[in-house]
Amino acid sequence: MTRYLLKRLFWMVPLLVGISLISFLIMHLAPGDITTTEAGFNPKASEESRQKLRKLYHLDEPLLTQYGYWLQRMGTLDFGTSFATHQRPVFWEKKDEHGNEQKGLIQDALPITLLINVLSLGLIVIVALPLGVISALHQNGPPDRAITIFVFVGFAVPGFWLALMLMYWLGVAHDWLPISGLHSLDYEKMGVLAQIVDSAKHLAIPVFISALGGLAGISLFVKNGMLDVLHQDYITTARAKGLPENTVVYRHALRNAMLPLITLLGLSIPGLIGGSVIAESLFAIPGMGKLFYDAVMMRDFPVIMGILTIGAALTLIGNLLADIAYAWADPRVRRGVGG
Amino acid sequence: MQRTLCIGILLVLLSACSKTDDIPPADLDAAYPVEPGGTLVDAMSGEPSGLIPMIAGESAASAIASHIFNSLLRYDRNLEPEGELAKSWQVSKDQKTITFKLKPSLKWADGTPLTSADVLFTWQLVTDDKTRTPYAADYKLVTKAEAPDAQTFRVSYAQPYAPALESWAGLQILPRHLLQNQDINNTPFARKPVGSHYYQLENWSNGERISLVRNPNATQGPPKIDRLVSRFIPDPASQFLELMADNIDVMNLNPIQYARIVPARPEMTQKIALYKELGNGYTYLGFNLKRAPFDDVRVRQAINYAIDKQELIDGVLLGLGEPVAAPYKPGTRWVNPQLKPYAYDTAKAKHLLKAAGYEDHDDDGILDRNGKPLAFEILTNQNKQREMSAVLIQRRLKEIGIDAKIRVLEWASFLGRYIKPGDFDVVVLGWSLSLDPDQYSIWHSSQNKPGQFNFINYNNPRVDKLLEQGRLELDQDKRMKIYHEFSRILLEDSPIVYLYEGYGLPAIHKRVRGIDNPAPPAGIGWNSQDWYIPSILRRNEISAQ
Repeated sequence: MTRYLLKRLFWMVPLLVGISLISFLIMHLAPGDITTTEAGFNPKASEESRQKLRKLYHLDEPLLTQYGYWLQRMGTLDFGTSFATHQRPVFWEKKDEHGNEQKGLIQDALPITLLINVLSLGLIVIVALPLGVISALHQNGPPDRAITIFVFVGFAVPGFWLALMLMYWLGVAHDWLPISGLHSLDYEKMGVLAQIVDSAKHLAIPVFISALGGLAGISLFVKNGMLDVLHQDYITTARAKGLPENTVVYRHALRNAMLPLITLLGLSIPGLIGGSVIAESLFAIPGMGKLFYDAVMMRDFPVIMGILTIGAALTLIGNLLADIAYAWADPRVRRGVGG
Repeated sequence: MQRTLCIGILLVLLSACSKTDDIPPADLDAAYPVEPGGTLVDAMSGEPSGLIPMIAGESAASAIASHIFNSLLRYDRNLEPEGELAKSWQVSKDQKTITFKLKPSLKWADGTPLTSADVLFTWQLVTDDKTRTPYAADYKLVTKAEAPDAQTFRVSYAQPYAPALESWAGLQILPRHLLQNQDINNTPFARKPVGSHYYQLENWSNGERISLVRNPNATQGPPKIDRLVSRFIPDPASQFLELMADNIDVMNLNPIQYARIVPARPEMTQKIALYKELGNGYTYLGFNLKRAPFDDVRVRQAINYAIDKQELIDGVLLGLGEPVAAPYKPGTRWVNPQLKPYAYDTAKAKHLLKAAGYEDHDDDGILDRNGKPLAFEILTNQNKQREMSAVLIQRRLKEIGIDAKIRVLEWASFLGRYIKPGDFDVVVLGWSLSLDPDQYSIWHSSQNKPGQFNFINYNNPRVDKLLEQGRLELDQDKRMKIYHEFSRILLEDSPIVYLYEGYGLPAIHKRVRGIDNPAPPAGIGWNSQDWYIPSILRRNEISAQ
C-alpha cells in the first residue's frame, strides 16, 4: 500500500509540470500581453515605455526562459506577484521589509467562492435527496412528473436571466433582499448577529441560482439509485419481515442508494474552487471566476498560472484520494493487476 | 419535530427580510439650504489596481485618485487651465522655462507641509527608469527641474513644448516624506495613499468598495459631502438595478436606459435626475492608408459621403450624440467653427468613385476596377456601439456598391494581431480626447512604427509641419489658428471618417444638490466638491457610536 502511494505521488510531479507547461504555452499563444492591455491605446503612453515595462516583466525573453523563471519561483512555492494589480501577491499574503502586509489575490477570492459553492452544494443535496426519493416512490405518478418538470426547468432556465428577475423582484420591487455585493455599507458597525443575517441575505440569491442548475442531475441520480435498490431482494425481505414502510425506505434503501452519490460528490470537490464569471459579475462578488476572467483579459500571466496550477493540483489530489479509496477497497488495484 | 424546526427557521429568515423602519418620504423636488455632511454612493465597473495614478493607469484608479491627489494645474469649467497647487505660473520669454509658484502653507492630509520638494520628487519618480509607468514620455522632455525654494518649482525644456501645461495638470503630486526610499512599484502606499485633495482613504475592502472621507487639511478647502463610497459592480444591469433600488446615487447610463427605460418609469423619474454632458472621445472609421484603394483620397471621401452620420447617432446613440468635424471637444476653442461634417450624399460618393475608376462592369452590384471588386473588411473590437455602427455602415456602403465584411475581436488580440502590425483594411475605433490640442502622436508621419498611434499611416507634410509648430507655440491664440488649419486639412484629406461623439449620460439621485446643469464643457463633475445632500434626504445610517 505504501509503495503504491509513493508511486502515485511520484507520478504527480511530472504530470503537474506537464500541465503547467501546456497552460503556460497556450496562455502565451494568445496575442498581446499586459503592456497592450494596460494603457495600450492611450496616446500618452509611449512605445518606449511599453518596451521598458516588457523588459521589467521579462516578457521580452524567449518563452522557455520565461517558463524557467516561473518554474524556479514555483520551486520555492512562490506564485509571484500580479502584473495588473500593483504587484499584489498571487496566492497568499506577503510581508515586505517594512513590515507591511499585502493580501494575496487568491487568498481574497478563494474563501468567497468556496463558501458559495459549499452552500450551494449543501442546498442541492438537501433538496435533491427528498425530491429523488419522492420521485422513486411515486414513479411515473403525478409527484414524479411534477418534480421532473421542476428540476428540468431549473436546469434549462438561463441563470443570468433568472438572477436578474430575482434581483428585480426581491431587491427593487420589494425591499427584501440586497441586489449585489457581499456586505451592506454599514456592515462594520453591525453586531455579530446582524452581520450574519446581512451576509445570509447577500448570499441568498447567488446560492439559490447556483444550486438550481445542479438540482436536476443530483435528484435524478438519487431517483435512479433508489429505483435500483427498491427492486433488490433484501428490500422485499425487509417488507416481508413486516417492517414499517418508512424504515424500509429510509433506513434500508436510501443508505445504499446514497453510496454512488458520495462518489459523485467527491468528484465535484475540485470544482468547488471555480466560480462562475457571469454570476460573479452579476452579483458583484469578488470570487475566483471573476479573478480568472479579468486576469485572462488583462493577460496577467502570474495570476492565470497561479489559478491553473492550484486547480490542477487540486484535481490531481482529488483523483489521488479517489484512487486511494478504491485501492483500499479493492486489492486488485493496489497490486496493479491488469494494467 | 424536524418539520417544525424547518418552518421556524424559515419564519426567522422571512422576518429578517421585512423592512421595519418606514419613514414618510421627504419631498425630493423641494429646495433645501446648503449643508455639509452625508454620503454619496456610486458604482464603478472595475476595481482600481492601486491608487498611485502614474502606475495604476486604468480609469477606475484615476477616478478615485483624482479625489485624493492634487496636480499643479487643473482645468476650470470651460476647460481653461488654472492653478490648483500652483498659485501662478510663468512662461519665460524664450518659452523654454516654466516657473510655478505654489500656494502658501499647503499641507498633506497627515499634516506635513507640501512643498516644491514634493513636486520635484514626483517628477523624479515619473521619469525614473525603474518606475513601471507608461506615462513618462511628456516628463522626460524636461531637461532640468529644480526647486530653488519651498514655494517655487521650475522646469526647463530643450525647446518650447506647448503641451507641457497639460502634462502638469496631469501629474498628481505624491508625498516625498512617505515615498522616499520606497519601491514605488510595490509600495503599500498604493493601497494606503496620503494625498492633499478633498478626500482621504477611509477604507478599502478588496473587491467590494472603497470609501473616502473628507480630508481636514484639504488644500482646496473642505468639500460639502462627508464621505464618498465607490462600489465595484462589474455588470451594468446590476448597477442599474441598484440605482432603481436607491442603493447607489450616481451612475452613467447607456442611451437605451437614458432615453427609453428611465422615462417610462414614473417611480424612477420621481427620484432620479438625468444629466447630459459632452463625452470625452469620438468614434471614427479609419482607413489603412498603406493599402489600395484607401491611398486614393477620392475613395476615402466617397466613403465619407456614403455614411449617414445622423443615422448612426439616431440608431446607435438614440440621438444622444453629436456629429463632429474635428478631433476636439465641441465647445472648446480648438474646434474650427467653419468645419462641417461630410453630408450624406450618395450621388457625390458615386461620382467620386467613378472618378477613381470604380464602376460596376460585371453587373453584380459591386463596383470594380481592373477586374477587382471594391471589397474590404471592417474590423472592430467587442464594443456594442462600434459593432452596431459597423453594421449600419456596411448597409450604406452596399447601397453605393461597396462590399464590406465585418469582423469583431477581443481587445488584446485586436491590438496585438491586427493594429500593431498594421494588418487591416478599415477599423471602427474611438479616440479619447486630451485637453491639450496637440495630437502629434496620432497624426504625425513619424509616429507610424508598430505600437505607435499613427497606425493608419497618415502622412501629410503640411499636417506634420502644423503639428510641429503647434507644439512649439505657447501663445493660446496663435496655437488656436494652427490647430484650426490642421483640422481643416484633416477633414479634407479624410484619413478617417468622424462618426459621432456620444454624450456622457449621468443619472444622479435627486437628493444630491448643487449640480451645475446644463453641464459646462468640463462636465457636471467639475464642481462635485460643491454638491451637497440635505440632511432630510440622506439615507439612514447607523451612527458610529
